[in-house]
Amino acid sequence: MERLFCDPRRCVGCRACEIACAVEHTPSKDLFVSVLNGELGPPRRRVQTVGAEPYRVAIGGVVLSLGCHHCDPAPCVDACITGAMHKENGQTVCDTEKCVGCWMCVMSCPYGAITPKVKALKCDLCPDRKEKRGHSRYACVETCPTEALFAGTFEEFQKVLAEPVTAVWEGR
Amino acid sequence: MAGPKSKAKQRFVIIGASAAGSSAAETLRRHHPQALITVVSDEKVTYSKPLLSYYLAGKLGEEQLFFRSPDFFERYGIEKIHARAVGLRPEKNTVELSDGQKLQYDKLLLATGAAPRFPKIEGIRRDGVFGLRKLEDAHGILARLPKTERAVVLGGGLVGLKAAAALKERGVAVTVLIDSPHALSQMLDESSARIFEKIFEQNGVTIRTRAKPVAVLGTKNQIEGVQLASGEVFPCDVVVVGKGVDPSLELVEGTPIRKEYGVLVDDHLRTSVENIYAAGDVAQARDVLRGEPWINALWPCAVEQGRIAALNMLGQETIYRGSMRQNSVQFFGVPVISAGLAVLTPGPLGGRPGEHDETLESQPAPGIYRKIFLKDETIVGFVLVGDVPIEAAGVLRILMERRVPVAPIKEELLELGPDLGRLLPLIVEHRERFVEREFQELVQTVGV
Repeated sequence: MERLFCDPRRCVGCRACEIACAVEHTPSKDLFVSVLNGELGPPRRRVQTVGAEPYRVAIGGVVLSLGCHHCDPAPCVDACITGAMHKENGQTVCDTEKCVGCWMCVMSCPYGAITPKVKALKCDLCPDRKEKRGHSRYACVETCPTEALFAGTFEEFQKVLAEPVTAVWEGR
Repeated sequence: MAGPKSKAKQRFVIIGASAAGSSAAETLRRHHPQALITVVSDEKVTYSKPLLSYYLAGKLGEEQLFFRSPDFFERYGIEKIHARAVGLRPEKNTVELSDGQKLQYDKLLLATGAAPRFPKIEGIRRDGVFGLRKLEDAHGILARLPKTERAVVLGGGLVGLKAAAALKERGVAVTVLIDSPHALSQMLDESSARIFEKIFEQNGVTIRTRAKPVAVLGTKNQIEGVQLASGEVFPCDVVVVGKGVDPSLELVEGTPIRKEYGVLVDDHLRTSVENIYAAGDVAQARDVLRGEPWINALWPCAVEQGRIAALNMLGQETIYRGSMRQNSVQFFGVPVISAGLAVLTPGPLGGRPGEHDETLESQPAPGIYRKIFLKDETIVGFVLVGDVPIEAAGVLRILMERRVPVAPIKEELLELGPDLGRLLPLIVEHRERFVEREFQELVQTVGV
């Protein structure tokens, strides 16, 4: 199954993915309109830094953007008391109609990838972009200015990691 | 070893269709399309017990209690029998049902769950005294609502307080009588519990701690009140009992299956008798924090145990890491997540003295509270209250579950958000404790 990965060598912590994610999950899908209408919610992925400053290529530390890993088996699915959180074609999906906000999933996710905001919010792999292919399939991947985000299998991502980092990346 | 042919004919019988039973049935079907799977349940429909208080409060309709679609068993080709399992003959591999049927099994899963613990006091069996464990309990309470002005809840645990909040939302005047010195004694330490006692009081629910009820007063079908040892009487029209649950062990009585508080299972969730497994609230499995067999009668544990038992029943060896005490709940809009042992008031079912040697605590604003208990620089419990603090529950929980020494990030623990990144150095250092594929991928990713 295709999932999202972040190359910590290319991530500079600019948080463009966070904004792109938040905007993608608004009705208008437009930054200005969504802010104007108060529609902008929290992002479903977050930039994380350890021992490194954003906007600097990390040396000794780590900067990377993380979201739901779509685990299998998924602890959040086990924990859900309503059946809202479920697996669908390998993806971990929350049916927000069913979610009652008990936050058992928030307690269970070891990655801190679920945001409790009335409903359980998490990476849903951009269902509104299902028809799109390639670079624009996911909002965060499309927007990433340093091409740190990668969509594919982990095996494919490992090949990316095996390559040296260059100023111009032509791999995807 | 059984060949594929004999395996295809295997018959799996599951007693119980709630969290553990459903999860096991689904896992069996996913991994074994041909297996004969029979689920026996004494309840007609499969619904989520933790949602009953939402139903009682009127926040959810009955059809919203189904955590699986109503045609789940049919769609998965699972036979569901509405009957009670009344006899078990391990030497013959048979289960007898209340309708007279005898079921032959190759592998059996006991997922019989638990039943509410009713205090042995006078009048406790009167009409109008309810648990809140089954749909019929909720139906019973709701049927009485039009004639109910006042209710008494016995027990200040999770179920008791959820029932109290639900009844309050229905406009009933509620008094909660708690034996213990404070509410939620199986979930929170005293100072954390006080926050919620106050929230309940502010929302018009009366909480009485150190209150020992001795009788439910009334006539045959009319409740009049609850009397305390002191003689004081709390008049009411309905009584809800929320004093914890006991595992339903009737089926294993008289069999060689080893039991203690519940049915004892090993790290494959096997009972002491061949071909019989147990999962969910009836199973006494390893507790990762206590290091001994324990029952954590919690939804997530039951679902995971059901799945792992099913894999082992299929011959796919899977080790059960163990459960731990953890819970998440909201009262009057204030969320709380607590996990671990040190949080608990010392007692036979609770904490033990010396479980922690350090406490970190912060309350930056009213209603925002964090408390983390440490022992030998390892997290052994935490309480998080409020919208922002609870976001860190998952990452704190995994550090606790994997027994990761947190000395390098101790100063940051109280400010920690859902930042797995802050923990990455610890995860990389202790990578052997994070065996899941997703963690291993992360370790490889940051290791480049």
